[in-house]
Amino acid sequence: MGKEVMLDCLGEACPVPLIKTENALKKLTIGDLLIVHIDHSCAMKNVPEWARKEGHNVEIEEVDDGEWEIFIEKAK
Amino acid sequence: MEKKVEKYDVIIIGGGAAGLTAGIYCGRARLKTLLIEKSLVGGLATYTNEIENYPGFPEGSTGLGLMELFHKQAKKFNVDFKLTDVKSVNLEGDVKTVETFRNKFEAKAVIVATGGKPRLTGAKGEEAFLYDKGISFCATCDAAANTGKTVLVVGSGDAAIEEGMFLTKFADKVIVSVLHDTGKMDCNEIAKAEALANPKMEFIWNSVAHEFFGEERLHTVVLKNLKTDQLIPVKVDSCFLFIGYLPNTDIFKGVLDMNKGGYLLTNEKMETNIEGIFACGDVRDKFLKQVATAVGDGAIAGYSAEKYIAESELFHNQIMQCDKPGIVYVWNAIDPKCREFLPLIEKYEAAYDGKVRITKVDIYKSAGIASRLGVSQVPSIVKIKDGKIEKIIRENICEEELAAAIEE
Ligand SMILES: Cc1cc2nc3c(=O)[nH]c(=O)nc-3n(C[C@H](O)[C@H](O)[C@H](O)COP(=O)(O)OP(=O)(O)OC[C@H]3O[C@@H](n4cnc5c(N)ncnc54)[C@H](O)[C@@H]3O)c2cc1C
Repeated sequence: MGKEVMLDCLGEACPVPLIKTENALKKLTIGDLLIVHIDHSCAMKNVPEWARKEGHNVEIEEVDDGEWEIFIEKAK
Repeated sequence: MEKKVEKYDVIIIGGGAAGLTAGIYCGRARLKTLLIEKSLVGGLATYTNEIENYPGFPEGSTGLGLMELFHKQAKKFNVDFKLTDVKSVNLEGDVKTVETFRNKFEAKAVIVATGGKPRLTGAKGEEAFLYDKGISFCATCDAAANTGKTVLVVGSGDAAIEEGMFLTKFADKVIVSVLHDTGKMDCNEIAKAEALANPKMEFIWNSVAHEFFGEERLHTVVLKNLKTDQLIPVKVDSCFLFIGYLPNTDIFKGVLDMNKGGYLLTNEKMETNIEGIFACGDVRDKFLKQVATAVGDGAIAGYSAEKYIAESELFHNQIMQCDKPGIVYVWNAIDPKCREFLPLIEKYEAAYDGKVRITKVDIYKSAGIASRLGVSQVPSIVKIKDGKIEKIIRENICEEELAAAIEE
């Protein structure tokens, strides 16, 4: 099991969460888990989609109304 | 790693207007219901700032606001939500399976409500600028980031023109690339008149996207005039594509019947070609793709799934039981000849109480059980022994035949 890294994007609107996610993921190695914490719904439309397109495994938890944690398992 | 298996009555794939409505109906029917959504619950309707034609909201509503209410209502009826994408399905047979990257789910019925995704232009360079690098499909999401900027909108349908007008509240200039001749657009007349009168909007007629250029981010879209082949470079900060949608049906290819465009074929009960699999909303081949029609479809799909499950249970737990022999009388309540035999059937029901299980199946209410028994003609009598169909009597139904069948 790889390491787990939290990325706080609370209060950030598009395109900031996606840019931060891209940069954070670059620093991780295969098997690591990045957890992106967001509260702007716009990020729900592009962060998971982008990560899947890059080939990573993605699951999301709605932690509260309008607040989500996107779990990205780096796969390559 | 072995995947964890979880069991449900119904699994709904897709959490847009159609899936959420199906969820409300299934949840309210007390079915154990799971809805799987891969991104934001609410679907494509959350891409627009203004929904003015959904009844019940005379002042209009934002797409996101409206969908949040749908979501809340589905939660109220105890629908479980899982936010991940469905990778594969196995839809044949009585137990349907749906797999995500971590889990495997089993259900008696599956409702497909996967909707659509924005269509791309296919022009050179496009791929490089998707995902927040300058090409967007959601004005609501990216309007604020374009305050004071110049944007290009590709398309001239309702979505293109209405979203384009919304963008003029933020951007300095909204240039619209229209496929048609000067003054011709695909949108409704009201939107067209407003757009033509909007001082911040500019139109480039007879044009299509030809190539996208930029460094890290998009900075130029080259349009091509279809009549003259002239190339027109347009400097922009963002480009919004509204040139239609494609159905999310890749995982159903070769399994569910679809039209040439990949939209799923259903009947008016939202049944697909596979028993127990229903489809609703924009993913269907249908005339009008809107929130109001997605809601109608979702209600029907939820109701159909409920009926299908009830019927399956009756079929397996009562009709095809092995504990004692069974007689099934398949009839139609509106057919006089069928009604004639009813007293006779009821007489035997009383006489053999406890020894033979006699079930009456009215095809006027539903043809599902009859079709599972392979019976299309009424009246018919089906004899069940050891959980299997032993004999079907279609003709000469009379007291002697019936007595013989039971006594045998
Ligand atoms: C810009 C714009 C403006 C619009 N304006 C209006 C309007 O004013 N009035 C109106 O009535 N309609 C409008 N519409 C149309 C309306 O949004 C759609 O008709 C409606 O969203 C259809 O709902 P649906 O549930 O069928 O599909 P969708 O909303 O497309 O939902 C399908 C959902 O399924 C999910 N999904 C797909 N594949 C999978 C998978 N493999 N695993 C898990 N989840 C999956 C998707 O992520 C999506 O959330 C507009 C659409 C757009 C884009």
